[in-house]
Amino acid sequence: MFTDEKWSSSKNWFIAAVIWIIIGMSMGLLTAAKQIWPDLLNNRWTTYGHIRSAHVMLVIYAWLSMAYVGSMFYMIPKLAKTKIYSEKLGNFSLVFYNIVILEGFFALLDGQTSVIEYGEFPLWVDVQLLIAIVIVAYNLFKTVGQRTEKMLYVSLWYFLGSLLWLPLTWIVGNFPAQWIPSGVQQGLMGWFLGHNAIGLWMTTVGVGQIYYLLPKLTGRPLYSHQLSMIGFWAIATFYVWNGPHHLMNGPIPSWISKAGVIPSIVLLIPVWAVLANFWGTMKGSWAQTRTNVPLRFTMAGTIFYLFACLQGPLQALPSVSSVIKFTHWTVGHAHMGPFGAFSFTSFAAIYYILPKIVGREMFSKKAMEAHFWFSTVGFLVFAFSLWIAGVVQGFAWIEGVPFLQTVLMMEPYVQGRAIGGTMMYVAQFFLAWNMYKTIKVAKQEKKQQALHQAVTA
Amino acid sequence: MERKPSAVLMVALILWMFGVAGTVILPLFDQEINSATASGELRNYPEDSAEAKGREIYIQNGCQTCHTQFVRALPADTNQNLGPVSQGGDYKYDLPHLLGSNRTGPDLMWVGLKYNEDWHRQHLIDPQSTSPGSIMPSFDYLTNKELDDLVAYLMSLKPTEERLAEYKKEREEQNSMNDK
Repeated sequence: MFTDEKWSSSKNWFIAAVIWIIIGMSMGLLTAAKQIWPDLLNNRWTTYGHIRSAHVMLVIYAWLSMAYVGSMFYMIPKLAKTKIYSEKLGNFSLVFYNIVILEGFFALLDGQTSVIEYGEFPLWVDVQLLIAIVIVAYNLFKTVGQRTEKMLYVSLWYFLGSLLWLPLTWIVGNFPAQWIPSGVQQGLMGWFLGHNAIGLWMTTVGVGQIYYLLPKLTGRPLYSHQLSMIGFWAIATFYVWNGPHHLMNGPIPSWISKAGVIPSIVLLIPVWAVLANFWGTMKGSWAQTRTNVPLRFTMAGTIFYLFACLQGPLQALPSVSSVIKFTHWTVGHAHMGPFGAFSFTSFAAIYYILPKIVGREMFSKKAMEAHFWFSTVGFLVFAFSLWIAGVVQGFAWIEGVPFLQTVLMMEPYVQGRAIGGTMMYVAQFFLAWNMYKTIKVAKQEKKQQALHQAVTA
Repeated sequence: MERKPSAVLMVALILWMFGVAGTVILPLFDQEINSATASGELRNYPEDSAEAKGREIYIQNGCQTCHTQFVRALPADTNQNLGPVSQGGDYKYDLPHLLGSNRTGPDLMWVGLKYNEDWHRQHLIDPQSTSPGSIMPSFDYLTNKELDDLVAYLMSLKPTEERLAEYKKEREEQNSMNDK
């Protein structure tokens, strides 16, 4: 029942991912709209809290994670110079993973939540998602196991690490919390997941993608192998410790706070190492970003990654946190990694890989351009609205402005966010349409070719 | 190591375990967050009590996505008059915890001090009637029973009398210092 056609699992994970980005972002847009019109679609199922949770979980675990798996099902065999261990299992895991995501989606709309941010699915969904992730990891580990290229390129390090860390982190965040009898302790576990779903999955797979794509797209070798090793091990060492900064200035003992804050600041080291490596590789190739959309997406992604990683350590300083924590700023920051940096690199991965799989270039270059500009401009409008809003809001609270008045002050920014968000959302239809056309036309061309060959033979 | 995936995985696992030990396991042995304060005891609701059920309704309707329960010793919180600074032990029985991460609406750590039952009920059914300009959605889809439970939970979010008295005294001292 499941096909073992070459590259089919990579292609199918990408298709599912793009369907989910449309669904997940429509939830996000609805969340933004509800902050303008609070009673829009307000009922027991689609009340604000449910839609916001569904948005967060779907864009991370449905869209982005599926795009990541799609990339890895192509990049890992390529780097290992072998084929995927089992395309059949890859396609099976896709169907299973999607069923679990659907279950999680409906559970959230039904008000079943474990409250853990970035791990909001209830326990019965968590268990199944863990199994799905383990099946994917097994398939990819086996693929690495049968490699014919002995040297492990740096992307493989990142992918291997991420595939190990995600299931483990998922376990720590979701399972013991159900039985540990203390709220703050549970908060620490939850934020261990909350931060490391980003640090040890989103960041590390995304960085692995960039390491793969840059030399391919520019035709230049990686700037420094040494530097990429330093970056990898520094991320692996320090990212894990970041969870506690989410409870900054709060009900945690100061030693835990310090154990979280110091590594958060030290993270500047791997980020600079990684970026120096990317931009070193780019030397002399920047002009190509004018015409090469996947390369432009990748580079815009690295720039947003830099911004996100400048904000992150700064936000971990108690003084900065005391102004912006709990404000709209956080929401702006939280979108920069997942959207600005790593959705962009995933778009680049799709635009690079899909043509290789279907055997024809992307159907429309104009649609790719539109996708890029709507995504980028939309995101900038969205993010700057939220950042300005956050700072204004944070200082208004410090001034002692009554809370309700600060809500009214936020109105124009909340509207700006929704406008930027609409552009980000519209952009994704260019991606989906372009993908659909590419796959369809490629099929027709293959058919015609076969016909032609049959006639001339 | 550049040829051995198992070695990469091994070291990656060990580094990950250090992080777990430091930020998840060690805190288990910390008294400050693992023993309840007197105000924390007040949140140890008996099973099937209206408050316990109300807490479930709070969670099911996603109140925690917009409201924190998290008061810091910072100007942003003291100047908003949020009440006593919360301590680790206040959350001992808070399962799952409702600390929150975003204040689209105000903090609710001690919201029980601020309004009465009727206000809460009216506010849940028609938020804009009590708070003009509020962007909270209406919860008029809840049944009467559910609203009762939710209001009971919200009203229970209070510190002990002693903690409150202490807090008020501290504020007065601070205000008089500021006046000078």
